[in-house]
Amino acid sequence: MRPFSLIRPTTLAAARARALAEPQARPFRAGGIDLLGLMKEGLRAPAELIELHALSATEGAEMRALAATEGGLRVGALVSLAALARAKGLPPSFEALREAASSAATPAIREAATVGGNLLQRPRCWYLRHPDLECLKSGGASCLAEGGENRLHAILGGGPCYIVHPSTLAAPLVALAATVTILGGGGRRTLPLEELFAPPRERIDAEHRLAAGELLLALELPAPAPGLRSVYEVAKEKLSHDWPLAEVALSVVVEGQTIRGARVVLGHVAPIPWRALAVEQALVGQVASAELFARVAPLASVGARPLAQNGYKVALTQGLVRAALHRACDVPIPE
Amino acid sequence: MSQEEDSLTKNVRLRLGFADQLREVTVTTPKDEPRPWDADSALTVVGQPTPRVEGSLKASGAAVYTHDVRLPGMLYAAILRSPHACATLEHLDVAAALAQPGVVAAVPLAKVGDRLRFAGHDVAALAARSRDEARAALSAIAVRYRPEPFVVDTLEAMQPGAPQVHAAAVSERRTEGDEPGEASGGAARGNVRLGPSQSKGDHKKGLRQAKVTHSATYTTQVHTHSALETHSLVVRWEDPRRMTVWCSTQGIFSVRDEMAEIFGLKPADVRVITEHLGGGFGAKFGASAPGSRLGYAAGELARRAGAPVSLCLDRREEQLCTGNRPDSIQQVTLGAGADGALTAIHVVAHGSGGIATGAGVGRSAFGVYSRCPNIKVESHDVFTNAGPSTAFRAPGHPQGAFAIELAIDELAQKMGRDPLALRLAHVEHAVRRYQLELGRERFQWAARRAEAEARRARGARIRHGVGVACSIWGDYGRAKAAVVTVSVGRDGAIFVRNGAQDLGTGIRTVLGQVVAEVLGRPLAEVTVLIGDSELGPSVGSGGSQTTSSVAPAARNAAEMVRAQLAELAARLLDRPISELSWGTDGSARAGRRSLPFRELCQKIEGEAVVASATRPKTYGAHPMRYPGGDNYQIAGVQFAAVELDTWTGELRAAEILAIHECGRTHNPLTARSQVQGGVLLGVSYALMEARVIDRRFGQVLNPNLESYKIAGARDLPAIDVVFCEVHTGANSTGAVGIGEPATIPTAASIACAALHAIGRPVRSLPITPDRVLAALAGQDGA
Ligand SMILES: Cc1cc2nc3c(=O)[nH]c(=O)nc-3n(C[C@H](O)[C@H](O)[C@H](O)COP(=O)(O)OP(=O)(O)OC[C@H]3O[C@@H](n4cnc5c(N)ncnc54)[C@H](O)[C@@H]3O)c2cc1C
Repeated sequence: MRPFSLIRPTTLAAARARALAEPQARPFRAGGIDLLGLMKEGLRAPAELIELHALSATEGAEMRALAATEGGLRVGALVSLAALARAKGLPPSFEALREAASSAATPAIREAATVGGNLLQRPRCWYLRHPDLECLKSGGASCLAEGGENRLHAILGGGPCYIVHPSTLAAPLVALAATVTILGGGGRRTLPLEELFAPPRERIDAEHRLAAGELLLALELPAPAPGLRSVYEVAKEKLSHDWPLAEVALSVVVEGQTIRGARVVLGHVAPIPWRALAVEQALVGQVASAELFARVAPLASVGARPLAQNGYKVALTQGLVRAALHRACDVPIPE
Repeated sequence: MSQEEDSLTKNVRLRLGFADQLREVTVTTPKDEPRPWDADSALTVVGQPTPRVEGSLKASGAAVYTHDVRLPGMLYAAILRSPHACATLEHLDVAAALAQPGVVAAVPLAKVGDRLRFAGHDVAALAARSRDEARAALSAIAVRYRPEPFVVDTLEAMQPGAPQVHAAAVSERRTEGDEPGEASGGAARGNVRLGPSQSKGDHKKGLRQAKVTHSATYTTQVHTHSALETHSLVVRWEDPRRMTVWCSTQGIFSVRDEMAEIFGLKPADVRVITEHLGGGFGAKFGASAPGSRLGYAAGELARRAGAPVSLCLDRREEQLCTGNRPDSIQQVTLGAGADGALTAIHVVAHGSGGIATGAGVGRSAFGVYSRCPNIKVESHDVFTNAGPSTAFRAPGHPQGAFAIELAIDELAQKMGRDPLALRLAHVEHAVRRYQLELGRERFQWAARRAEAEARRARGARIRHGVGVACSIWGDYGRAKAAVVTVSVGRDGAIFVRNGAQDLGTGIRTVLGQVVAEVLGRPLAEVTVLIGDSELGPSVGSGGSQTTSSVAPAARNAAEMVRAQLAELAARLLDRPISELSWGTDGSARAGRRSLPFRELCQKIEGEAVVASATRPKTYGAHPMRYPGGDNYQIAGVQFAAVELDTWTGELRAAEILAIHECGRTHNPLTARSQVQGGVLLGVSYALMEARVIDRRFGQVLNPNLESYKIAGARDLPAIDVVFCEVHTGANSTGAVGIGEPATIPTAASIACAALHAIGRPVRSLPITPDRVLAALAGQDGA
């Protein structure tokens, strides 16, 4: 790892100014889990890290907040996954978020990893992370996964690059209709979190739409509609210390037995958190039942174009959606 | 027996066998051998569950591993590695690196014109004042490669016209990790080197007689050792002809010999120290694996720098260059008569150990179902431009067991027979039969099979499956290889010395127990010194031979010490030695008089009573020999229960019942850990581990412990370990091996259980959700 300086600005303005002067060479450090991994593997060699934890109490207040708002929730970008997972008094409607935060990575990593860093981490594609290979994202001419070892890659929304978005928090946050507040050149702006993510067709050098030196301040979860329930389901090859093969977070609004609203978001199957719109549409207005779920789950993979080795993710994703619906709607799952 | 031999040996009647199958057997031992412990020996220390004596050092972090060695003036080495799957070295100049900050010495490890045969091959090494400086300076080495055609896929490498990995025949140093008796070095055709075959009867005739046949191809993945402590050594030259080497090795004496050979020294002038070892699993017999020169690099850098050098590989290097279990492609054909009796077993196996040899598939197909009259097992090495294989815990066996055991289950399914009954009908080894029957009851085989089948029949989402598989291994306890020295001082202090390393099996503790047993002293009074070549010759920890080679030698030495003490006691008590007996508290007794141990010790003339001893070749193999040998055949069986989510394809090992034996169980606690470790390794191999290599670039994509997946705490099944003690009459303590047998049947039993849960076979390891979902969707074999 190349030696670097750790800069400890105490104000947001100073942090941004320092980064803006040379954005590539001066990333922000939050938990540092992704950043230091990339540096140790020689994939990034920044001259400076700008320490976000050094922000003063007042300047960093918004980024550190984990607080209820009128019925909703504000989560600062610097809140750790572990803090989110063990937060007392999260509305039960936000269960998907709690489940996801306590499932990602490992207990030690969750203590350091932050919500902001989790959403902005780089993909784990083994071609992108190989020191001796160049793929589309690392400056090469083509996606090496497309004709290569692609069992962990995208089945939906891929091309010209087939990464899957790595963030486990992204799916539940999108399912709960979170908005994100960003501090940039023009001041603060707020957008639906969904719009933060950029597919490879739009942007190849990053997976988000932040401009250089922009800071992610916080996320806001709106007050849940009455009867809103959310769950997170994931499939992994191993239970300790592993990445998802596929995951789903969904929220449903159930009135009596009838589903009035649904947001179904798939993770680790597409380069961005993937809304399964066909499933959402097929659910709304229907009475929750095992038969309904069996019928709509296959819609999760509408539009899927699997590569040579990842066709299994089609069935896997459908299975996860089906299981998640049972749990979210309290319809007993078959034995 | 010739007269001369006769005068050197004696016959002893021992009670041998297991469980309720004990009988009197005559074994012939050397004249001066103590009476071997048998079923009638009532022991008080050996056989007791005893925590490992170095446990608190390890748990507290005080134990010094090679990575922890810090010497005054010590430098840190780093190695430049070829990024190409195959390349000719066109230019190499290390001089520029010497100008980099902190760098003190640099050496080439390859010559211009050399073919570097895999991505990760050594090119040059340098030593600097810090590890960071060493790594940073690597980029200053001037190097140019000419890339060459390569092949990394085993099937592709077998095709005519595939790039040739080795231009000439390959010969390798054998290591103690290779299964004894496995010949190497057959004729080569392209990248395929024909290996030895095991054969009996006429398999072709057997197949012609068959009424039912089953034929399928089974494949297994490349499996890396992934020891937590990477390969490492620290070299210090004491003077131009003598060196001390701290090495993370499971073969202190093979490292000593290797370093002596490299530097033209006398073995006695190389001292090797391995106080604690952070995992070996077979990859650590020499200082490095084939195709890599770690010993030379550290030693030469230290020589040039005039300072000690520490070379500790990083995780990436460890995964690329230091060894692996070869993959395999096994065509298995089975035939059975109308009565269900096996008429033929035929296995043709190919596997690639990368640039190295060693891709056999073990003895499961040949040795376990030995009631089958016609068996042929052929296995061939395929060279590829990939990192070298080295011995890996039961080389060949887990992959061989996987193929034959799953094939047996598929045949049973075809015939509508119970797979356990089919096994019992073909297993000859009485201990293995006993274990299978024991497991059938303890695991509630019939009830669980029925429950799982009912679930499958009614289309349940969560399915269950139950399977069983066998293990076969040999008692490789070595004669005259380990010399153990036992001393009792005038202060009563007891020391045991031997140059063995503790692979993690608990040999320190076992040696202490054996000596404590013989002398009738508490274990706490015995100090065991091991892990240093100065402490006397010993064996490498491979072939599951450490305890069986060293513990009997320790007993024999302790018996000699006791005899000397007894003689002294007889003199002091003024009684004939024939009247003297040794109390379990270590006191010497004759008639009504007795002499406590400490008092007796005070009367020792001089400093101490000292004796060194070894052990003779095995003198018994009761009740069953290993195929083709005079040594005992170690039996084990494992039962697996799996749970399958049919919606996601996730299949987990829920429960493993591991029934094993290691002859006389010297320490049930450390033996249990060996079995648990073997099961854990097997679960991981069965369900997740796989080296992934891109065939277009010849690059390993997961040389780390993140995307190379190893089972963690939450992936472990409930493990029920049962020892069925066997008195084999093999040596004076009755120890035989356990480390390797314990991992052989795990993946096989899980694969059989997976077949039971899914209803179709997954014929490739690891059994990951993609393969399970394909099998559930109706693809046979996946
Ligand atoms: C073995 C292992 C398993 C893992 N499994 C999972 C998993 O299952 N699911 C999952 O989601 N993750 C997983 N991870 C990844 C881990 O969760 C992320 O690396 C971590 O969440 C990143 O957060 P961080 O705070 O450490 O980010 P950092 O490494 O500090 O930052 C990441 C990036 O975000 C930028 N950044 C951080 N905060 C801000 C901000 N407020 N504004 C602007 N830019 C910012 C940084 O500059 C950097 O570019 C795993 C990691 C490992 C090692």
